[in-house]
Amino acid sequence: MESWIEVLLYGLAGTLLGGFLFVVPSIHFLNFSGVIIALWGHYHGLFPIEEPLTLFAFFMGMVVSFGIMNTIPSMFLGAPDESAVFVVLPGAKYMLQGKGYEAAMLTGIGGLLGIFFLALFTPFFFFALPKLHIILGPHMHWILGLIIVYMLMSEWPKGTGKGETWWIKLKGAWANLFAGIATFGLSAFMGFLIFNRTMVPVSMGFQGLLPVFVGLFAVSSLISAILSKQKIPHQHISNDIDLDYKTMWKGWMPGCIGGTLAAYLPGVTGGIGGLIAGHACAQRDDRIFVMSQGVSKVVYYTGQFLLFFIPVTMFLKGSGLKRGGMAINLSPFYKPTLLQEYFFIFGIVVMAACISFLLLSFNSKWIIKLIAKVPYQKLSYASLAIVVIMVFFMPAMIDGAINGETMLSGLQVILIMCVSTCLGLIPIFYHCRRSNCMAVIIVPICISMAGYGPPLVNFLGLG
Amino acid sequence: MKGLTHFMSGAAVASFFLPAVKMAGAEQIGGASSFILCLGGLFGIMPDTMDFKMGQFFTKSEYEIDPDPMDPDPQEMAEGLGKAIDQAYDTNQTVQAQMYPMRLGADLWRQYVINFDGKTNEVVIVINEIVTTSQVPILGSEPPPKKRVGRYKIKGDFNITHGRPSVVDIMSGPMYGFFKNEDGKMEIEFLPWHRTWSHSYVLGLFMSVPVWLIASLIAGWQIGWLYGLIAFLGFSVHLTEDLTGHMGGSLLWPFVKPRCNGLSLFRASNPHANFSIDYSAVVIILFNLNRFAPTPMFTLSPFKYFLYCLILPLAGYFAIVKIFGEKGKKKKAGVIAMEKALAREELEYEAEEHMAGDM
Repeated sequence: MESWIEVLLYGLAGTLLGGFLFVVPSIHFLNFSGVIIALWGHYHGLFPIEEPLTLFAFFMGMVVSFGIMNTIPSMFLGAPDESAVFVVLPGAKYMLQGKGYEAAMLTGIGGLLGIFFLALFTPFFFFALPKLHIILGPHMHWILGLIIVYMLMSEWPKGTGKGETWWIKLKGAWANLFAGIATFGLSAFMGFLIFNRTMVPVSMGFQGLLPVFVGLFAVSSLISAILSKQKIPHQHISNDIDLDYKTMWKGWMPGCIGGTLAAYLPGVTGGIGGLIAGHACAQRDDRIFVMSQGVSKVVYYTGQFLLFFIPVTMFLKGSGLKRGGMAINLSPFYKPTLLQEYFFIFGIVVMAACISFLLLSFNSKWIIKLIAKVPYQKLSYASLAIVVIMVFFMPAMIDGAINGETMLSGLQVILIMCVSTCLGLIPIFYHCRRSNCMAVIIVPICISMAGYGPPLVNFLGLG
Repeated sequence: MKGLTHFMSGAAVASFFLPAVKMAGAEQIGGASSFILCLGGLFGIMPDTMDFKMGQFFTKSEYEIDPDPMDPDPQEMAEGLGKAIDQAYDTNQTVQAQMYPMRLGADLWRQYVINFDGKTNEVVIVINEIVTTSQVPILGSEPPPKKRVGRYKIKGDFNITHGRPSVVDIMSGPMYGFFKNEDGKMEIEFLPWHRTWSHSYVLGLFMSVPVWLIASLIAGWQIGWLYGLIAFLGFSVHLTEDLTGHMGGSLLWPFVKPRCNGLSLFRASNPHANFSIDYSAVVIILFNLNRFAPTPMFTLSPFKYFLYCLILPLAGYFAIVKIFGEKGKKKKAGVIAMEKALAREELEYEAEEHMAGDM
């Protein structure tokens, strides 16, 4: 067993680094982990090889801080404009009312409640989940299929219904539905291309999805913010948060359900899990929604990585449970076998959550000051520039060298980002759900789990 | 019930069929897996899909009330709606009226509230503030008091049992159907196009036939019937669940066209009812998947399983709801604004009366 103080220090380092790094738009812990692992390949002293838990503690700290901290770039720096109607989360609504700080802290409190849920459900993870996995494992494809069907079927027309003929009425109302279906179909097709025809340099490995996700969600939001010329009102920094136990319970429950769904089901993200859980609990209050998003995100990101630490001996086949990119990225380095390791890592989770919560308050305050001083559009342009530079240099960062080859790879990933940005703009301009873009990952996973992957790949000529 | 509830219930019903579960898990035995269980969910949500995505756009209304967004006249709106009710009263026929939202710009809408007052037999329209597309009101944007409230007294009497004010702001407005009942009182049908032809067992049966035929042609006649049956049951479970609410459905359309009333056990949007059914569906699906697995993971008797996994957790949930839950119904912000406007109108009226009395 490693020296606990060393593990703790690595956990602390991951938390603090993440606490400031993830304030920058579209830096994701998965991409950063790729860079860190690549760096480790060059500088072996970065993590002691004889104490592998230090690596995991570092990244767990980072995952937890990401789950809590990524509220800041999405709420304060990438707030979609009002025309993005049903995709404007109540968090952005708070922002437009000058209550962005309150919303950020609500998600932070939600995050802490999410950690409480993970602690409460630890016995379930140990004893029930491995058994449940045996029952559900062979049926994963149709469960994902159910989610896909529901995502498509549960989007309703948003036209005003005005028109002299039924055709005009139908056409107006169906505009957003067609856009949603088109986004879904195109994203799914793009997913097939990405998964079956590597369009990024091989060395980027798991980071191949970086330009896709950045384009679909981050760049499209920033472009929308630039075009809309949205003015952000003065943000009020309150000393206390208006929150009672009932609201906490109501936000906690859907958040936990959504986060758990997303953590366990491959290809399902916190957003989709949150959407389904929100419908299941039929809660409409904005405060509840904002808080449940905080719970869901932390349960999703942290829970997904935490599942990796359930000792493999608990599973019948001894294979353990790998969910999410982080567990897949790090699994070649270590296989947790002891119960103590789980609790050790959970200690890191608790520490990281508490520090991240404090950092969330600190970071929100200075970001609010920044927004007040710098025009929002300029901030969006700066964010866009950071994102583009980061994506362009990602192959170079992973290879640890700037040369002709990495520059060419940088251009390739920028091209992929441009295509996915176009896709990501469809829901913004046509007022359909942005979660349709998640077809990029959920559809290929679902199809290949059902065993239809190879015939479809051949049919599409991608084999 | 909510769409997800119908969807989950449809999938749960499908999981009761051993061949369907075996086909879904066929990869275990080396074959490609089937998505047949999704069919239950798909047809579970189908009736509402047909209504909200298709049916409503084909429904014609005798009255279309499309107020001027720049200068809305609540009196004119109330009169328009009231005349539709009077026409139904005079002609003894159903009259439908479509209300439209007031769009002021890309992101701005004028909110208004429609209330049918059963005590005074009046149609009351109250114009509220301008709201953004996120339904955030812009404070101080409400019209002056004299242009805020419109009233129209109808000829007959309303028969209102469970009416709530309708808040109209973004995207679309409601349609009402008015008709005189056997007692001569005026009934208000909210969304008359909803839960009519689409909520019929007969239509469900009719729609499952192409599913059966297509599945039989693709998968073979010996198994195609199962696809049709699951589609029909998914559709039927939706109609049956809807009977728990107020609205009911036209269960035997086209043979019996009128929409029957529901059992009024709870509102379709009741979060606790929806959550309980969703949770029950998950528990049932798990039970069936385990039961039909080549090697079941647990061997609890159905009684013990449902006691531990369904009844006790739901009892715990409802105990929490009972102790900590909301007391009374929560009102929409638009309705609260309407009530304030009406209270102010009443105060002004009383003040005028007093002034007149003093003179």
